[in-house]
Amino acid sequence: MTKELEHQFVSELEANQNIVHKVCSLYTDNREAHNDLFQEITIQLWKAYPKFRGDSKFSTWMYRVALNTAITLYRKSRKQPKTQACDTVLYKVKAEEYDPTQERQLNLMYSAIRELGDIDKALVFLYLEDKNYGEIADTLGISEVNARVKMSRIKTKLRTILNP
Amino acid sequence: MMDELELLKQDWQKRDREMPRLTYDEIHRMIWKKSSSVVRWIFYISIIEFIVPHLLYLLPSFRSGMNYDVAGSLGIRIPLIVLTVIQYGIALYFILQFYKRYREISVLDSAGKLMNRIIRTRKTVRNYVVFCLSMILVFFGVFIWGMVLSDDLIEALHLHPDGQVDPDRLKWIVVGIMSVAGIVFTAVMGGIYFLLYGLLTRKLYRNYKDLRRMEG
Repeated sequence: MTKELEHQFVSELEANQNIVHKVCSLYTDNREAHNDLFQEITIQLWKAYPKFRGDSKFSTWMYRVALNTAITLYRKSRKQPKTQACDTVLYKVKAEEYDPTQERQLNLMYSAIRELGDIDKALVFLYLEDKNYGEIADTLGISEVNARVKMSRIKTKLRTILNP
Repeated sequence: MMDELELLKQDWQKRDREMPRLTYDEIHRMIWKKSSSVVRWIFYISIIEFIVPHLLYLLPSFRSGMNYDVAGSLGIRIPLIVLTVIQYGIALYFILQFYKRYREISVLDSAGKLMNRIIRTRKTVRNYVVFCLSMILVFFGVFIWGMVLSDDLIEALHLHPDGQVDPDRLKWIVVGIMSVAGIVFTAVMGGIYFLLYGLLTRKLYRNYKDLRRMEG
């Protein structure tokens, strides 16, 4: 039974690992920390898996655990080179697909997002993942109205960065 | 204006392809690794905090200090026994509370609720530590009170002055040393505690405050 559960879990996570990687890329700034956070999220997901009843999609359920781990549970391990950043996915932009202005704008927005606090990042992340405000509010434990207000403030902030 | 954010959203969703990919085996290896989450650390440190005050009694000097013979000759045996009983009763209450709160922590709650529960669990331990520190002060207090009232402190403590020192002066020196020791000991224990949890939960508190501010 455990073996079966294990197999089921690892297969599901393998198929949906992008979600976790995206969270890691937002909350860490080097490869080592990325892997560290990925591992902690995996452990938390596995611990909570027996309580996953399948009444929501596996991926939906993952958002909550992954963000909770990144915002609340995860402790950065001490020995981390702070300078060796930017190894992450956020900065890799495929040059051929964009015109330079657009590419510059996107990079500006991504760096602005990286400067946000942990909670704001979670909001933006869920927004970018196309979650509705009801879900965002529910994941963070705030009211839907406040989620909207906060998100519109972040949007304004991002726009000011683009059009100073 | 909206376009840029929509653009960002599209770009973000396209980035799926650029994310690292772990194999089945790599993920499988991870699931049995030890968690290093804040909650786990709070759990370990709390266990230590529940045990440490009781380990003090294993130190020979502390034991002889709390020795009931000495207490008897100082006339504070009964208050000490009463205090000890109360102390263990309250310690037990705290341990049960802590266990209950710890079990309530669930990664499946909303971020706000999860943080709230962790903070509540931590506060239970903080209250316990404050209680322990006050108990240490009370114990020292009772001893000092016994000493001050004692007619023959030197005899009670089995001190053997060489006759050069005035017994009355010696009594006040011992009382002074005890008072300073009590305060320093309490302060050091408190300092270690707050440093430990301050470092551990700094991020948690910051994020909790941010979240509450949104609701404000």
